[in-house]
Amino acid sequence: MSQQKPARDHFPPLKGIRALELAEIWAGPYCGCLLADMGAEVIKIESIQRISRGPVSPPKGSSGYPEYDPGIRPWNRQANFNSTNRNKMGITLDLKTPEGADTFRDLARASDIIFCNYARNVMDGFGLGYEAIKKIKPDIIYMLMPGYGNTGPYKDYRSMGMAIDAISSHSFLRGYPDLDQSSNSLVHHPDAVAAVNGVLAITTALIHREQTGQGQFIDMSQAESFMTHLGEIYIESQIRGIPRQRRGNRNPGFAPQGVYRCSGDDNWIAISVTNEEQWESFINVADIDEISDIKYSTLKGRLESHDILDTHIENWTSTNDRYDLMEKLQNNGIPAGVVIDCGADTYADPHLNDREFFQIVDHPDAGIFPMSGPVIRFASQKDIIRHEPSPTLGQHNEYVLGDILGYDQSHIDDLEREEIIGITPLLGADLGGSRRAKEELKRQQSNKN
Amino acid sequence: MPYTVLDNFLVLDLSNRLSGSFCAKTLGLYGCDVIKIEPIDGDSNREWKDYIDDDNNTINPLFLHLNVGKKSLSLDIESPEGSKILKQLIKKADIVVETFKPGYLDSIGSGYESSTKDNQGLIMTSVTPFGQSGPYRNYDYTELTIFAMSGAMHREGLPDRSPLRYGGEIAQYYSGNSAAAATSVAIFNRLRTNLGDWIDISIQECMAGHPHQIGRRAPFIYSGETDARTEPRTLPSIGESYAVGTFRCADGYVSFLPLGARMWPNIARMIGRDDLITHPDYLDSDKRSENKKSLEAIFQSWLDQHTREEIFLAVQKAGVPGSPILRSDEVTENEQFKARDYFTEISYPSVGTQKYTGDPFRLTSIPKKGAAPPPTIGQHNQIILKNYLNYTHSDIARLKKAKVI
Repeated sequence: MSQQKPARDHFPPLKGIRALELAEIWAGPYCGCLLADMGAEVIKIESIQRISRGPVSPPKGSSGYPEYDPGIRPWNRQANFNSTNRNKMGITLDLKTPEGADTFRDLARASDIIFCNYARNVMDGFGLGYEAIKKIKPDIIYMLMPGYGNTGPYKDYRSMGMAIDAISSHSFLRGYPDLDQSSNSLVHHPDAVAAVNGVLAITTALIHREQTGQGQFIDMSQAESFMTHLGEIYIESQIRGIPRQRRGNRNPGFAPQGVYRCSGDDNWIAISVTNEEQWESFINVADIDEISDIKYSTLKGRLESHDILDTHIENWTSTNDRYDLMEKLQNNGIPAGVVIDCGADTYADPHLNDREFFQIVDHPDAGIFPMSGPVIRFASQKDIIRHEPSPTLGQHNEYVLGDILGYDQSHIDDLEREEIIGITPLLGADLGGSRRAKEELKRQQSNKN
Repeated sequence: MPYTVLDNFLVLDLSNRLSGSFCAKTLGLYGCDVIKIEPIDGDSNREWKDYIDDDNNTINPLFLHLNVGKKSLSLDIESPEGSKILKQLIKKADIVVETFKPGYLDSIGSGYESSTKDNQGLIMTSVTPFGQSGPYRNYDYTELTIFAMSGAMHREGLPDRSPLRYGGEIAQYYSGNSAAAATSVAIFNRLRTNLGDWIDISIQECMAGHPHQIGRRAPFIYSGETDARTEPRTLPSIGESYAVGTFRCADGYVSFLPLGARMWPNIARMIGRDDLITHPDYLDSDKRSENKKSLEAIFQSWLDQHTREEIFLAVQKAGVPGSPILRSDEVTENEQFKARDYFTEISYPSVGTQKYTGDPFRLTSIPKKGAAPPPTIGQHNQIILKNYLNYTHSDIARLKKAKVI
């Protein structure tokens, strides 16, 4: 931060807190990622019976692997997994077996937090739900985060981010106003909101535990979590008596606003003129004769002729460089932003680079790459941004079972022999198969013999 | 209905932008006492600029949503006496949430460093478009321009048209929510160390570090893959696109995301066409892609005969991710949110009673307290100055006359 030196030696804010993560895809894993960024010891529990790290044996040339090469252990090289599980430890455990469940109970006794984004009843099905764990670890903080919450008629409905986007009305609100919703993309943004609210939920529960000694069950509905980001739209609909309609890139409260083509291939700039002062400034900065016309001198006039105004603006922007335009407009007090793509443009962004957003990460199976970094910055942690690679499958089995739980080596070896732990997924583990997959694998092996 | 877990923590909300205001509101939902400090002519968000067909004498729904439960102190923080009051309040506060340009609070003598001299445990949460450092730190923004710079916009929309933003004020809410989570982490740490902290939240960074962006950026750095806008109803990463995306149905729209080839039989059975599973035209992924047009036509004719409610039940039965798209006026009436008492009725003088969104998550062992409506301008001037700073009635009258409050 500007001229701000860390005033003291300050340990990472969640140091000493241990969390067990049972989570896939985005909402749960990113919650764990944020907790781990801030110093919590997050142990991600996966299994060799069922993995969420892409296909077990994708063909060479598959998308999402370094140099399109899945390698001999594709599950350790998958882009989405490796970008959203930084700073965690990873173990495998077959919770369906008595020995696996016992090991989980031992871990629960040694932990502060359990969080899970599976369907509501999965952990109960293993006999490892909140009530069961509470008996052996009374102050446990236990969060389930199904799509629609842990009660109500939809409590067992499966969901993904796109479903929450739809039911919240956000899918209705986005898109080009001249087309209908069937031209929309699917958006999973509610996952990220649930992740962030998961951190808030877990830490408020930690604060309560610190003050009272009590743990608790946290009932997160990913829908309810995301809907707090649309609250004004529901209130507006009630006041006006009509639903909010799509606005595209415009805003009925000011004009012009839009995304305009710039020179180059698929290059764009977003511009917002939010008041009369900015409009005067825009007329002076932009090299466009037509816009000094008197009919554009009022907001009403600009809103009425927004389409024509956009054409004039785009004639100007389309012959200019997007970064030059942004600098020129911003230097004259007009909000403008280059539409950066999430790959090359983001990596080249001078601002993100100045803030050291990217960190070089050395992953044992995927290689050395600059990866996108932690986003929550504390002045006290300025010099110790943490970015360890995502764990390989079962990477920390020995450490967690041996060093944390104190299991002796023969116990660990037994668990491995019984396929309760391991570092290689069983055949079919990418399709949710488990026992069946195991049997299939055995059958194939005996065929080979 | 706020929880009581953060009952003992005082938040000074100096935010003049959505993200900080939402951060403070969210902390209030879990018990913090939130004092909103707004200019003496009121927070500019009170004005409903979007609604120009009206005579504009009503209150902005955005203001209502962001400020429910807060107390309002209207204060000219740049006047000598106002700045003194601000400093006195910061001395008493546990948390300051602010969204000013970097360096502004320093310029009025209330920056982090000077504020912590008399208040070691202070937590300051700063939410700005680009953070406290870096070449763009003084750039201005709107939801559109900051969303553009987050990496999320470029892939949204159709290939031959301009990129599109999301529907609401998504980037600002998301970063405000992140700020609330970070603040809660700092509160927990303070209980263990008695030390505060300064939290630097950048809206651009929150969105650029968002799981969607990092999950889709890794294939770029791994192998140079790009993430361009695509035609609707295609999703290359799933490998199949026979029923992916948003479709019209009898009474609106529904979205589907069957996960690859394994869900094809579920879809066929869901639309009552088990025969398609073995049909030579649709036998494998390649065949289904080749005959996507005819397959979509079959799918569409089933959709045309069913309502969103029927389809929602059908996808759950079939085990296929999918959901009806609700309109904003339908959400408040939805059976699930009603069954969970999610919305709360709250009244404000000029607009009467509306349903407001509830808590983002439920802490099941913690009691709740009553919800207060959003404040009118300076509604709590007297109470705040009297209770927190021991000002007398005549002090307060003088400050009001001098237009400090």
